[in-house]
Amino acid sequence: MEASQLIQNLLNGLAIGSVYAIFALGYTLVFSILGIINFAHGAVFTLGAYFTYTLVVGQFENNGLLKGINLFPNGSPLSGNPWVFALATLVGAVIAGLIAVLIERLAFRPMRARGADPLLALVSSLGVALVIVNLIQLLVGAEIYNFPSDAYGQVQPALSFQVGEKVVIIRTVQVIIFAVSLVMLAVLGYVIGRTKVGKALRAVAENPGTASLLGISVDRFILITFFLSGFLGGLAGTLVGTAFGVAGPYFGVTYGLKGLAVIVLGGLGSIPGAVVGGLVIGLAEAFVPSQYSAYKDAVAFALLFVILLVRPQGLLGRAQIQKV
Amino acid sequence: MKRIALTVALGVLASAQAQKVQVPIPIGVALAQTSNTALLGQEQVIGARLAEKFINGRGGINGTPIKLVFQDAAGDENSAINAFQNLITKSAVVGIVGPTLSQQAFAADPIAERAKVPVLGPSNTAKGIPQIGQFIARVSAPVAVVAPNAVKQALKLDPKIKKVAVLYAQNDAFSTSETGTFQETAKAQGLDVVTVQKFQTTDTDFTTQVTSVLNSGADLVIVSGLAADGGNLVKQLRQLGYKGLIIGGNGLNTSNIFPVCQKYCDGVIIAQAYSPAQPSAANQLFVKEYRAQYKKDPPQFAAQAYAGVQVMVDALRAIDRRKKLSQWDLDDLRVELNKQILAGKYNTPLGELRFDKDGEIIQKEFYVAQIKMKDAKNGSFVYLK
Repeated sequence: MEASQLIQNLLNGLAIGSVYAIFALGYTLVFSILGIINFAHGAVFTLGAYFTYTLVVGQFENNGLLKGINLFPNGSPLSGNPWVFALATLVGAVIAGLIAVLIERLAFRPMRARGADPLLALVSSLGVALVIVNLIQLLVGAEIYNFPSDAYGQVQPALSFQVGEKVVIIRTVQVIIFAVSLVMLAVLGYVIGRTKVGKALRAVAENPGTASLLGISVDRFILITFFLSGFLGGLAGTLVGTAFGVAGPYFGVTYGLKGLAVIVLGGLGSIPGAVVGGLVIGLAEAFVPSQYSAYKDAVAFALLFVILLVRPQGLLGRAQIQKV
Repeated sequence: MKRIALTVALGVLASAQAQKVQVPIPIGVALAQTSNTALLGQEQVIGARLAEKFINGRGGINGTPIKLVFQDAAGDENSAINAFQNLITKSAVVGIVGPTLSQQAFAADPIAERAKVPVLGPSNTAKGIPQIGQFIARVSAPVAVVAPNAVKQALKLDPKIKKVAVLYAQNDAFSTSETGTFQETAKAQGLDVVTVQKFQTTDTDFTTQVTSVLNSGADLVIVSGLAADGGNLVKQLRQLGYKGLIIGGNGLNTSNIFPVCQKYCDGVIIAQAYSPAQPSAANQLFVKEYRAQYKKDPPQFAAQAYAGVQVMVDALRAIDRRKKLSQWDLDDLRVELNKQILAGKYNTPLGELRFDKDGEIIQKEFYVAQIKMKDAKNGSFVYLK
């Protein structure tokens, strides 16, 4: 492989891998606290993108119950330069976080209260995901909504540099995604590792019963976990939506499956594992030769399979110790 | 025991008795109302509903109203099969317009064929659809007829084109079929296909494919996909610096791609089987109705679904003149309707249509359009002579 191709693939892989990573972190947070997979996470990811779109554009033209609605006849105040767009993104992610809290209340808590099997919670979250996706279509149709190209100011669409004879090109939006993802990972790392909230979260994850005895309100921290998870999912949704368009109500489904592969690969419940898993899968996809790139999803899952054969606990997961 | 046997016997007798045709006359419509494909399906639903409104507004079939029975066929084969089965057995429809994708037609049409229910494909353009069976016809001209026009038009616009990059959605039967036609046409025109790239209709990130196209030095790019992926691919080609002409296949032939590639859609060439500018009275009426409701020109998918319903109703009208539809046994009417569809000539928004003995459409006019964007979101297909 030529140096230019190598660098090109590396950049492509890091950009998409970083989104996988912050998306998968949402999965991992919930898994580490409750030991269950929240299948509605992909739908929350989709919602995040739609919320931001609503704040930035506020119009859904063609189909659905909201057809013809225009929230900002004189243009949205949250559009036109990078800072207000960033604010809209954050607000969108916060609303997505609140929706995740609502999902916890409706789909997970009743199950937990009855001591139901974790599998039931998984199926219930799958049901929630389907309801959300269909609700989105009912409200705004199946169209793809794209952020207007001037929503985040006048940005050069691509950056390019010469490597030997060839040119390496990366879209500006991919660089931004990578930077935002890194910042988010650092912030989350700090919150979990260095703050009181983080300590309490880790205590609940370690042993909810003991944490409760120590005066930590387990239910409240489960809600906080869901909020963080939804926030990260919604943020990832907006980032992907910015890069590739808000590709209809179903566009979180693929990311939902991919996120699952990422956390299993990285090690279930391991936060650094989600980051490493995301980057590994992103890079693996980027290095699939372009004429076979339609098979990149298959490659991601094949890689997962191979790694699990060698390390069943995932790259950074801890092996289960059985006491006898 | 005797009573049970009697009940069973009566049940068997009842089911063996021929079913009469219901009034209003039920016509099945199995299109993608959910899933990724709903982007195309919702346009078709609009077209079908407009046809129903127009037909019933003018007295239906010689005074008998029609009723469209909608079943969501989503975007996958199983949903299409279920929709067909429900329409045939539960709703007792006389015929079906659908499904949306060729991929689904290959799975669901055989169900209708076995039940002897006529099917009109409104947007199935892959090779081999009418050959699925005697009861299968389509109002959507096959790719092989439409696609070559676009390549010839591109060469007219830029005679210096030598190298072609071809990209297609490999998980979609129609796109796979269309790309074959495009590649054959390119070679026949003396062009060099320098790279063939595949993607999935669910993909959003095309960086890998685009960088390969850029490195291949292609001066024409041909995309066969659906609206979401195709539009996104066009956008990323332009953003990453591709400057040459782009041809889009039938899947990109919808105003739904405008919000996807926005200003980057400008200049994309698309071969079409429908034009709002087609002067026939049937089309101008349809365009007027559509514009009044949706404030834009109707897309091809709406026009084809409208034509599908219209063809079925025109054929039913011819049968009704010979013998009132309500007096027919359902099974007999289905067989007769199939014969009549293939025998008739129709003036639809697509222009004049007929069918050959296989059920393949014989259409007179085709068009090549180039997208012109007015602003970030609004554009139109401008017809090239």
